[in-house]
Amino acid sequence: MKILLIEDEEPLRESIVSYLKGEGNLCEVAIDYGGALEKINLYSYDCILLDLNLPGGDGLKILRAIKKMNKKEGVLIISARNSLDDRLNGLDLGADDYLVKPFHLSELKARIMAVIRRKNFSGNNVISFNEIYIDVMGMEVKVRDKLLALTKKEYDLLIYFISNQGKVIAKNAIAEHLWGDEIDLSDDFDFIYTHIKNLRKKLVEAGAKDYIKSMYGVGYKFEAI
Amino acid sequence: MRLAQRYNRANMLTSLVILVITGVVYYVAIHFILTDKMDRDLVIEEKEIEAYVRNYNKLPSPGDFLHQKVTYLKLNADHKIERDFFYSDFYNEEEQKTEPGRSLVTSVRLNNHNYQVTISKSRVESEDLVQFIFLITIAVTILLLVSLFLINRFVLQRIWQPFYDTLNRMKAFNIAQNEGVKMQETKIDEFNELQTAVSGMADRVKKDYRELKTFTDNASHEMRTPLAVINSKLDLLLQDKPLEPSQAVLIDEIYHAVGRLGRLNTSLLLLAKIENNLIPEQEKISLGKLVQQKLKQFQELIHNKQIALEQQLEDKEVIMSRYLADILLNNLLSNAIRHNEMGGRIHVTLNDKELVVSNTSKEPALDGQLAFERFYKASSSEGMGLGLAIAKQIVGLYHFHIEYNYHQGLHIFRVIF
Repeated sequence: MKILLIEDEEPLRESIVSYLKGEGNLCEVAIDYGGALEKINLYSYDCILLDLNLPGGDGLKILRAIKKMNKKEGVLIISARNSLDDRLNGLDLGADDYLVKPFHLSELKARIMAVIRRKNFSGNNVISFNEIYIDVMGMEVKVRDKLLALTKKEYDLLIYFISNQGKVIAKNAIAEHLWGDEIDLSDDFDFIYTHIKNLRKKLVEAGAKDYIKSMYGVGYKFEAI
Repeated sequence: MRLAQRYNRANMLTSLVILVITGVVYYVAIHFILTDKMDRDLVIEEKEIEAYVRNYNKLPSPGDFLHQKVTYLKLNADHKIERDFFYSDFYNEEEQKTEPGRSLVTSVRLNNHNYQVTISKSRVESEDLVQFIFLITIAVTILLLVSLFLINRFVLQRIWQPFYDTLNRMKAFNIAQNEGVKMQETKIDEFNELQTAVSGMADRVKKDYRELKTFTDNASHEMRTPLAVINSKLDLLLQDKPLEPSQAVLIDEIYHAVGRLGRLNTSLLLLAKIENNLIPEQEKISLGKLVQQKLKQFQELIHNKQIALEQQLEDKEVIMSRYLADILLNNLLSNAIRHNEMGGRIHVTLNDKELVVSNTSKEPALDGQLAFERFYKASSSEGMGLGLAIAKQIVGLYHFHIEYNYHQGLHIFRVIF
């Protein structure tokens, strides 16, 4: 997939590029308003990551320009502004999602995947990973045609893992993904362990391989064996 | 003591003292003048008697005098009489009663004999006059005091009214609201000056407050980008291979700290937003459904701590921002779970009047006064101490009321609609 990242903060830009690239993914960057417009004009992407506070112009203007050009790219806003108004403004203008800084790279990746899935496979939204097959529209998970009964959180967790396959995901990131970052849960994320244990058990019992690994007690990794 | 009352008291007291003193002086002076006049009348009589004696060489008859009595007494040759005025009794034959009188005792010489002459006059008229004057004085005094009292009472109160108005407006002044202290033109310069000073001060305070708020807001927003950088670098660091277990522990701890910082930042921004009234639109919300939805969202956490959940939910519709309703329930319910003990209990009750969330906990009762203060938290709490402060702000915004009680091991939070 081809992604355009419009972000002026260099260290953050580097992190995002470093996390997204590889596995045939291409991630281009623009650091300001003018550069962004130029790239959008010239090329087409699967997904555009748009920061709202840019030197040389408001990010929302870029969004308006994209929509004016009738481009089909999915747009994901990443902003430090946590105001609901900004969020609604962005979504009203046609952005596909809105992510507030600070965020986890795994969360960003999951959101990008979701945006691209919605754009590309409208009506036939499917994720597959080896023997695991997920129908996102019907919210069904099958392992070699065997239907799995997952709870809502286990289902979310599985998609989250597959979106970030091969990466170590911090427990923090998982907790925020499942319960939202506005909830001040305990700093002890052990309760995540139960969910992961259950998901693993259900997958293995259905005949899938055990793809989920605990990493140094900090996080988990979903990886093809 | 109120200013008017104080002033009134001093005013009345001074007036009373001065009036009493002038009354006494007045009385003494009039008395003196009238006595002097009477004495001069007596002297005129004396002169007439002397003239009569010289012309006719005999004493005038005592009956010849109107409204006065004259008595004669023959004296021995060597007996001398000192001329003197004195107060006496005067018998009024017509009215047959004794009246106060004034007498002059003197002597005349007739045919080588000395005669003592006593001339007496009734003082009753002058006494009446004095009494009359005295009464008028008293009446005037009372009238003066009453009018002073009324003036103080009503006029002063009216004059001071702008002052009390200004005072009330100052009391109603809320720094977080957009309205300043309004001016209301009065006829009194001092009060106009006071109002100008007060509204000027209010404007300055609001300006400072606004600047401070903007600063806090900007600072909080600016903090989010570096936080995002730290978070993303940690996410990358975690991908490094191989990672030593000790490094993993460090990364984990930094994650925790950054997570807390991020939530703290979000909470502060949220508080600022509520204070600045930058709240998204209100809508009709079915609180019952929302509570159920939240409990479902938290069910794994509840289950994980083996907490017994008891709920008695009736539906209740409220008009509030969905976003804030969400946060309010999040805070109350996540507190009830977070501070609970293994195998504890949570009761959630919702009816038309109130929403009650109570939970068991190992922690002792909170200080009901401080529980909703910012950054107050039980010593064992891992939270930031902002959750309840935010809950209180939200509740206050919609004119609900929140209170905390501790009863038989249950921490009870009650939102009263």
